[in-house]
Amino acid sequence: MIKTVSRLQNPREWLAFIFVWGTAGFVTATFCWLLGDILWHGLSHISWTFLTAPPENAGRRGGIGPILVSTALILGVCLAVSLPIGIGTAVLLAEFTSNQNLFGRMTRRSLDVLAGVPSIVFGLFGNVFFCKTLGLGFSILSGGLTLACMVLPILIRSTEEGFRAVPASYRLSAAALGLSHTTTLVHLLLPAAIPGLLVGLVLGVGRAIAETAALIFTSGYVDRMPESLLDSGRALSIHIFDLSMNVSGGDANAYASALVLVVLLLLINGTASWLATYGLHRKIVTV
Amino acid sequence: MYRYLDRSRKKTDHLLRLVLLASLCGIPGAATAQTPGTDQLSGKLVVTGASTLAPLISEISKRFERLYPNVRVDVQTGGSSRGVADARQGLADIGMVSRAMKDEEKDLHAFLVARDGVGIIVHKDNPVQALTDEQVVAIYTGRVTNWKEVGGKNAPITVVNKAEGRSTLEVFLHYFKLKNADVKAQVVIGDNEQGVKTVAGSRYAIGYVSIGTAEYDESQGVPIKLLPTGGVTASTETVRNGTFPISRPLHIVTQTPPAGLTKAFIDYTRSKAVHDIITQQYFVPLVD
Repeated sequence: MIKTVSRLQNPREWLAFIFVWGTAGFVTATFCWLLGDILWHGLSHISWTFLTAPPENAGRRGGIGPILVSTALILGVCLAVSLPIGIGTAVLLAEFTSNQNLFGRMTRRSLDVLAGVPSIVFGLFGNVFFCKTLGLGFSILSGGLTLACMVLPILIRSTEEGFRAVPASYRLSAAALGLSHTTTLVHLLLPAAIPGLLVGLVLGVGRAIAETAALIFTSGYVDRMPESLLDSGRALSIHIFDLSMNVSGGDANAYASALVLVVLLLLINGTASWLATYGLHRKIVTV
Repeated sequence: MYRYLDRSRKKTDHLLRLVLLASLCGIPGAATAQTPGTDQLSGKLVVTGASTLAPLISEISKRFERLYPNVRVDVQTGGSSRGVADARQGLADIGMVSRAMKDEEKDLHAFLVARDGVGIIVHKDNPVQALTDEQVVAIYTGRVTNWKEVGGKNAPITVVNKAEGRSTLEVFLHYFKLKNADVKAQVVIGDNEQGVKTVAGSRYAIGYVSIGTAEYDESQGVPIKLLPTGGVTASTETVRNGTFPISRPLHIVTQTPPAGLTKAFIDYTRSKAVHDIITQQYFVPLVD
């Protein structure tokens, strides 16, 4: 206590103190302001009907039922495709290729470049490749696959980091016990690498669920309840964009939809970090 | 954004043509409308184009789907240029174009759906009540940069312009005989609502948006006001009776003469049964 006081008497220390606390306070305040604004404008419009009813009058009235279903389906397609490919590639990069390996280096480099590509480029690619070349048209499938391409780099890189964070002694002990490569991978390395995978998943899902540019040309604008994965379906973020930027008088429902999106994101992040701490990770710790 | 799209389109054109042949049946939209049965229509229509028209056509198609439960009308957005391109390539059954048709687009069959006026807006607290056409041109070309030169307060003018490819921009430039390169804008925006928000949030801004949008926002208390053009009040009423000078037609287009489901949908869109939807979306229905 005495030490702190004496340190703060120094003007330079004061400046640093103010700067550090000021920036931290600024960041927190920005987040609170944003959340508060959405809550203030959106909360009164949220109801069970809003969550389940179809939009009316271009989204000014009615709810977001079909849009939530479309968003969930797009996200489902995205994860169903990106998770197996992502884990597979990460295993290859982390466990079967050395750091110096040319193929590994090139794969990593291309993934890093892909991770920085703007989403509109993925959207145009998805539009040309999935919608036209593969003939999927404007559909939830096209949208989900485009998002999968977008999410893969993040997912692979952080899962790879997860694998690399597993101590070498695990692998050596497994080898000493005579466990096969596959057994070691499935029962030891994969559970131990789960936190890395979850970080990638949270970042990826966050990017995917908030995506507008990549989806407007792939999964489309139709706000009807989707009947199959080949139907066009409007994602929540596109709905918010359209309501706030293209439909006059859509602001109230745009705020309410934004609130739903933020809550969804918090729920997904919360579940993932809960799983990382208590669920899946415990498996390896108790062994 | 749209320009990029167009360019990438051209590059992939050859590939597309080949692929289209192979996958024509695979593209749900290209599966052309089926001929109407006795009384019951069925099939799927794909409509793409102007974002201005998308909410309107979307609402009309919902009512159409309720009328004919076996019909699905998918409305996609992306801009007038895309409406034209998709209708031409056969990627869409119907394209939406929120401007007059150009000479090089004469190969398409265009149908007028409604009209929309483009009005000049300023902040509500701006004391300027009217601007002559010359003053608007002077402001948008950067010759007049302060409100006091046109009878307002001593404050710099923030010029809000629309992004390239937007029909409102074309309508505006056409009326004032300007080229986009001549416009000295501080802010470039996309959709109408974005224009309203920009002007409402900046006391000394000037912009132009769809009159229906501005009229609605004004009635909701958004701090903007519509300025008259050529001495005519900017309102949906003057757009309807044709006296307001800056107005634009809203078209839907097809590549071939419409038949079957496409024809039924176009006829319905132009019928009196949807006038209430057109008014609801702040456009002006055609005088019949």
